[in-house]
Amino acid sequence: MIPVKEILLPKTVDEICRLLQNNNGTTKIIAGGTDIIPGFHIDSPRFVNADRLIDINRIDELKEVKVKDNSISIGTAVTFSEIISNPILKDKLPLLAKASKTIGSTQIRNRATIGGNFINNAPCADSVAPLLVYDAEIKIKSYTSEKIIKLQDFLVKPYGTRLKPDEVVTQIAIPVPSEKLKGDFYKLGRRRAVSISRISLAVLLDINDNVIDEVRIASGAVTPIGTRLFDVEKYASGKMYNDNTLREIAIKVGESILKITGVRWSSEYKIPVVQQVCYQLLKKIERG
Amino acid sequence: MELRFTLNNKNVTTMVEPNLRLLDLLRDEFNLTGTKEGCSIGECGACTVIMNGKAVNSCLVLAGQCDGAEIITIEGIEKEGMLHPLQENFLKSGAIQCGFCTPGMIMSAYALLLENPKPTEEEIKDAIAGNLCRCTGYKQIIDAVKKSAEVKR
Repeated sequence: MIPVKEILLPKTVDEICRLLQNNNGTTKIIAGGTDIIPGFHIDSPRFVNADRLIDINRIDELKEVKVKDNSISIGTAVTFSEIISNPILKDKLPLLAKASKTIGSTQIRNRATIGGNFINNAPCADSVAPLLVYDAEIKIKSYTSEKIIKLQDFLVKPYGTRLKPDEVVTQIAIPVPSEKLKGDFYKLGRRRAVSISRISLAVLLDINDNVIDEVRIASGAVTPIGTRLFDVEKYASGKMYNDNTLREIAIKVGESILKITGVRWSSEYKIPVVQQVCYQLLKKIERG
Repeated sequence: MELRFTLNNKNVTTMVEPNLRLLDLLRDEFNLTGTKEGCSIGECGACTVIMNGKAVNSCLVLAGQCDGAEIITIEGIEKEGMLHPLQENFLKSGAIQCGFCTPGMIMSAYALLLENPKPTEEEIKDAIAGNLCRCTGYKQIIDAVKKSAEVKR
């Protein structure tokens, strides 16, 4: 059942904020609709009271990708197809471009947006792990306020974020990563296309004179929500970059994930796979 | 709500309920029943149409979101009573069996050829990865798209 009684098509962010004033949760924002509409069909409690939808696809400010002052800004309503075909993002944020390619199908990527992916915050949201390792921040506006917070602080639980009913996410801001940070993204699903992630991992490494200066690791799908593994990062930084260290990091990643999830029926096969994926990703960086 | 958009190159104006999907609008209001409903959740691609030059699942778009949009359906790709090369080649290549996936498959291929007139086999596979066929098999479909790309050149 689609409960919607009204669809609004604002042209500016100010207009969105006005429409969201005093929202008691019955007004929802829609962009691609690829999560909301299937949500309606299963009478998801998140959408069952959505009387009024605000479509944000006609607002230039939310559709732009810009680079300014060493920061990349991506509008919340930029689609995954637009991310994949954007040469700046491909060059500066290759993990995000790679993850975006693995999402859904061409039809889904033509509608689904980067903002929708983390605002919906499904455990399997494929763009979240790359955004986390790139230290993404998000810009949130309401009629009376404007703030910037770290993505990792915004994400609370599966399908839950800190977004209040009167707020809209307008941009994602990512500091242009240092050229020295090398990395990769891997997604494991049950098939190659239109697949839901079972395990995803994003890794960035900065190696200087054979010493790991910095490492950033984030998991998706295998943890309840996309998560930066700071304890492993802390453990690894300053270590010599050699095969032994990579194995240790991979083992720690598995342990760290187990600490978050507890032992599940699937842990027995998922944890060794995560560890192997992590090892292979780190190893691949060495090979270039 | 009132809706104005372009449907198969004609300007149309209609009144729609806000909870109507684009798929329902096309099939029930405009009687364009070439567009099929399969899974209703964006996994099978049977309802694929072109919206502003891009292939989309019409089951995942609300009609109310289409104000000002350009929509092309399977009914809109023939020219003066002549089948589009994709349609011709689907017939010639044996790419149709039950036919349920065909309109969606052709629209995905149509969108691909709009953007990329010389696709590789991998690019064709990628473009139709969101379209399920349960009877013919994909080889004939890929062949039909390849042939059509050659014709268009």
